[in-house]
Amino acid sequence: METLGFLMEGFAVALTPYNLMFALFGAFVGTLIGCLPGLGPANGVAILIPLAFTLGLPPETAMILLTAVYAGAMYGGRISSILLNIPGDEPAMMTCLDGYPMAQKGRAADALAVSAIASFAGGLIGTIGLIMLAPVLAKFALTFGPAEYFALFLLAFATLGGITGKNPVKTVVAATLGIMISTVGIDISTGTQRYTFGVLELYEGIDFILAIVGLFAISELLFFVESRMGRGRDKMNVGKLTLTMKELVMTIPTQLRGGVLGFISGVLPGAGASLGSFISYTLEKQVVGRKGKFGEGDIRGVVAPEAGNNGASSGALVPMLTLGVPGSGTTAVLLAMLISLNITPGPLMFTQNADIVWGVIAALLIGNVLLLVLNIPLVGFFVKLLSVPPMYLLPIVTMVAFVGIYSISHSTFDLYFMVAFGVAGYFLRKLEIPLVPIILGLLLGPEMEKNLGHALVLSDGDWSVLWASPLAMGLWIVAGLGLILPYLIGPLLRRRMNAAMKENPVSD
Amino acid sequence: MTSLGDRILGLGLLVLAVAYGWAAQQWPEPFGGAETVGPETFPTMLAVVLVAGSLYLMIKPDPDAQWPIGKSAFELMVSLVVLVVYTLLLEPLGFVIATTLAVGTLSWRMGAAPKPAFLTGLLSAVVVFVLFNYGLSLSLPAGLLEVQ
Repeated sequence: METLGFLMEGFAVALTPYNLMFALFGAFVGTLIGCLPGLGPANGVAILIPLAFTLGLPPETAMILLTAVYAGAMYGGRISSILLNIPGDEPAMMTCLDGYPMAQKGRAADALAVSAIASFAGGLIGTIGLIMLAPVLAKFALTFGPAEYFALFLLAFATLGGITGKNPVKTVVAATLGIMISTVGIDISTGTQRYTFGVLELYEGIDFILAIVGLFAISELLFFVESRMGRGRDKMNVGKLTLTMKELVMTIPTQLRGGVLGFISGVLPGAGASLGSFISYTLEKQVVGRKGKFGEGDIRGVVAPEAGNNGASSGALVPMLTLGVPGSGTTAVLLAMLISLNITPGPLMFTQNADIVWGVIAALLIGNVLLLVLNIPLVGFFVKLLSVPPMYLLPIVTMVAFVGIYSISHSTFDLYFMVAFGVAGYFLRKLEIPLVPIILGLLLGPEMEKNLGHALVLSDGDWSVLWASPLAMGLWIVAGLGLILPYLIGPLLRRRMNAAMKENPVSD
Repeated sequence: MTSLGDRILGLGLLVLAVAYGWAAQQWPEPFGGAETVGPETFPTMLAVVLVAGSLYLMIKPDPDAQWPIGKSAFELMVSLVVLVVYTLLLEPLGFVIATTLAVGTLSWRMGAAPKPAFLTGLLSAVVVFVLFNYGLSLSLPAGLLEVQ
């Protein structure tokens, strides 16, 4: 009941015309970004952060805008999967399997409509899960001491490589690099200058917004230049909507199953949306059995993964909001925004910044409705956008990133830094060093050091305090598992996903 | 020699880790004497972790990715130069001119015909300039186009 009251207050925040406007704008831009091949939710949110900053938006508005972009991008990812057989990002991969065959059979409009509805259902289920689980988890997290937090941060790093991450050592290296970057600047507890080399611009440390935009957006441009995939695509014929009520009703159980499974895999650290859409699809195939025509354009084959990945995207917000530990790359970027708004994410946020937390949650619900309403009539517009060649789009997106960064500080020093991060991002991605742990290291590094310090001061320098309590020990064990499991399961999962893709030879 | 990328990376990281860790030991003891956790404690731990990671990468490297050679390496350099020159010229030339040139050159090098490429550049530059300066009242440099 208490939760319901907070939620109502959240709605009061989210439903002001000002916030509603930004939610709508975010949902629109998010879908736009999501449907462009090559630009995922993480890039989208990264590019918009500087804008939210320079506009001087109040914290709840900024967060509402970015969460709407996030949800929108998850919606948009499916459009290019269905029409072009090119997944916008990894979670959208499974949607290709039945979405593209449906489009080939002239049922593109139906596939788009039903996947929008499935996204809505997944998002809704995920958000309801978030509303129920988050406050409980936040209360539990209040019992954490510094040692537990230190272990929790390790857990976050260990699992962020994700199930699809290949080499756990590279995840460790990436996280360490990120934390190292965060130590540049003046040490807060002693005032010692660390790694500034006397450069004035480095005294306050390296702004992680520069790092994020550089690593994601600029490196994306460089990758594009190298692969030069794009001449643009022929405009697809969407066709008429022939979806019947009966078909829609038939997919309801699929939507429920997909949404719940997705939510669970979103909450689990490191699993994320890719796993969500994958297991939803696989389970659906097993439940339906031979009666289904999976891989040949079965409507449930579109519904399951879409409900799954949208459920997962709300699920990933649970650890981010309650523990300050993001469950995915995009939530890491959202976390960056919170930290730069001077809000410490974690259990205390639920008491100290209740309006923001609940405003964001309410905005997610509203955003899902907006997205559904936006997606059905505007789908033609988004489809047209797909035919704009990326050789025009990517330079413009890059320029927007420059403008955003420049508007924050009006310093070209920052722009050079951003480009440098872009180049580093390019090389690191080439060498398969994951970028997300770097960002997370940058973000969590200072907190981690602070908690380490507190724990050691409380124990008079006895290092064993870090794993003394059963809870801390448990977190260490899970962190260890998080590093090892992807090593064992990751290749299997990737093989399965690829095998599923190969089963349906689709002509491109 | 197919794993050269990771070996070089590992070597680079090793050098970085040692330099980073060594630098941490050079800081003067903070006022009030050495405590359990000084400014150097955390960096020292990081350096140790990175040394271990970099050694692993050198001993057990992954197979190399495909590195760009020839033309695509050249195009990459060109884009990079465009980004740096754009930053350099942003303030003196002003946003509109610099952006037209930068976006135009990038689109052109990515395979667009020069005319539509630079037109796209001009159009997007003007739209963003108007939007930012008048819509959001965030000033972008007008440069040469400044009206006195």
